[in-house]
Amino acid sequence: MKKNVIYLFVILLFASCSNSTDLDFPSSSYNPEEWLIPIEEIRDGGPGRGGIPAIDNPVFIGANANYISDDDLVIGIIKGNEIKAYPHIVMDWHEIVNDNDVGGSPVTINYCPLTGTAFGWDGVVNGQATTFGVSGLLYNSNLILFDRNTGSNWSQLKLECVNGALMGDLPQTISVVETKWGVWKNMFPSTKVLSLNTGFNRDYGQYPYGDYITNNDFLLFNVNPANDALPRKERVYAIIDNTITRAYRFEDFIGGKTIKETFNGKTHLIVGNSDIINAFTLSGPYLDLDFQYNYNDTEEFFSDNEGNKWNIFGEAIEGPRTGEKLTISKSVVSYWFAIAAFYPNPEIYSE
Amino acid sequence: MSEMKYRIIILTFFIVGSITTNAQTCCSGGIPLSNNLGLDISEKGTIQIGLSYDYNNLNTLNSGTENLNDNSRLRITHSVLLNVGYSITDRFSAEALFSWVNQRRKISQLGNNTLDQTSGVGDAVVLLKYNFPKLLGENSAFNIGLGTKIPIGSSTETNDIGIVLNSDLQPGSNAWDIIYYSLLSKNLNSRPSFSVFSRIIYRSSGTNNSYLKTSEYKFGNELQAFIGFSDQFILFNTLADPSLSFKYRSAEKDAIDGFDIESTGGKWVFLVPNFSIQISPSISFNTKAEIPIYSNVDGTQLTPTFRVSSGILINITRKQKKLF
Repeated sequence: MKKNVIYLFVILLFASCSNSTDLDFPSSSYNPEEWLIPIEEIRDGGPGRGGIPAIDNPVFIGANANYISDDDLVIGIIKGNEIKAYPHIVMDWHEIVNDNDVGGSPVTINYCPLTGTAFGWDGVVNGQATTFGVSGLLYNSNLILFDRNTGSNWSQLKLECVNGALMGDLPQTISVVETKWGVWKNMFPSTKVLSLNTGFNRDYGQYPYGDYITNNDFLLFNVNPANDALPRKERVYAIIDNTITRAYRFEDFIGGKTIKETFNGKTHLIVGNSDIINAFTLSGPYLDLDFQYNYNDTEEFFSDNEGNKWNIFGEAIEGPRTGEKLTISKSVVSYWFAIAAFYPNPEIYSE
Repeated sequence: MSEMKYRIIILTFFIVGSITTNAQTCCSGGIPLSNNLGLDISEKGTIQIGLSYDYNNLNTLNSGTENLNDNSRLRITHSVLLNVGYSITDRFSAEALFSWVNQRRKISQLGNNTLDQTSGVGDAVVLLKYNFPKLLGENSAFNIGLGTKIPIGSSTETNDIGIVLNSDLQPGSNAWDIIYYSLLSKNLNSRPSFSVFSRIIYRSSGTNNSYLKTSEYKFGNELQAFIGFSDQFILFNTLADPSLSFKYRSAEKDAIDGFDIESTGGKWVFLVPNFSIQISPSISFNTKAEIPIYSNVDGTQLTPTFRVSSGILINITRKQKKLF
């Protein structure tokens, strides 16, 4: 018996020292040598690749959902006849929703809770339908997604595939807005909203990062470059136009406002209030229109001197131009520190 | 103060300390350094050498005390531990604990598996202990100890694409910790082979000042308190020594740059069955398990599913050394 005991121990010891192969799966299919971002600034967030599970079979319910308060932020999208909202209280835990039916086509809604940035990406990449997952990696504290077809890594706020077979590709963005649930459902009472029936059991009422969202001193991972022109966690609306990024503070839109300004050779209309902002790149006949903020808890958000009424996505919903759409500027709502890290030295709008 | 009152105070301290004291620890997947301290203080000149293997499996995702029924994330820590103890006097001893670890993180989603792992020499612990015999009467022992965790393990290991893995997956911590140790044991007069014991280990964690080059990382302070009993009997002509204990572990949140990190730290209670047999007069074999019976994690995090460890302990007394 004593010998058997010793043999058993020796076997256990050697088993522990050897690399077991049953768990050794390749972590990716991409070339690890090539990145478009500095590899020394990429961080392992902790959960690992897929450790934060994307939602692949989203279930939606009507606007009478009782698990969201009016002040909770949602990501809103309209595509075709589809109006949908994705609450932060769910996105905080999943970061990605692969929604295969938004107006009849697949869209990936992605949200980074550490930088407060949300985008809609076309679910067809390089001619093939795909879905995305959370890589568990961060660059400048911001989400890096991977596409499940090729394993390529995509930097969310850089809006570019930064590693893998599709390196250098740009995601096709679908416009989204971010606002309070109460505002969104007043604008679009027929909206559907992502339910808590996600296929996962999470504490959706609980914000998973403590006081991160309000503590301006607290970053989980340092960013480069840092910019202290505004409080780090202040949410700003930023227009990204090649070499120039222009940030707009929500406090400058209290009570509602329209701004028309030209930079980088383009004229932008920025319209919003303290809860929601969107911007449009004007061209042709729209350059001569005189826009007015005109929101009164309905879909109409602004109007013009021709008598047209426009919604927050820049679609004329009433008037002689009904059905026409303004071109939405490339833009995002972001924590200040993040937009300033990805697009250094952003200009800050001031009156 | 009468001797009886003195004993009652000490016993109360240990029992209450074993059950209620708040403290902190690193994340749940850590290397079992504190867990494996506590070689006996033997007669002067005795050398003890322990070699053990520890397997820690974390496959239970909890939110507070609630099991979320999500086993897609798996953390495994394999550890090989080498304990070396030397009794400088009959009451004073030194103990060192060295480790080699393999840390694994496996994620299973949609039929795909991803594994990140590191391997290497882990941190070490040096502990000095002093014994107050008969403080609680005949056949009792009261040990106190003070030690440090020495950061000899690497804390900058990368995954297979060259990205530095997070602190929880590193073999080492790059931080000096202070270890406080105490042990109280008492053998019953009516049955001298039967003993009750309590052991408390508190780790005051140091800070890694160069985490990811530009940040500071501090694992939460940790308290581990054991209370249990053991007995001895003859099994197949071999001296067997089974024991059963409860382990309470409390860990504070980790901190980065001075800010607490959510979903780290918590409180746990484990049932720890232990069995050892005497293979020869100087060699014993030991195996034990840790079964969580209460887990209350901070936020949402993986919590231990089970842990097993086995090892041998060699006692070399002064008389045996003379034989060589």
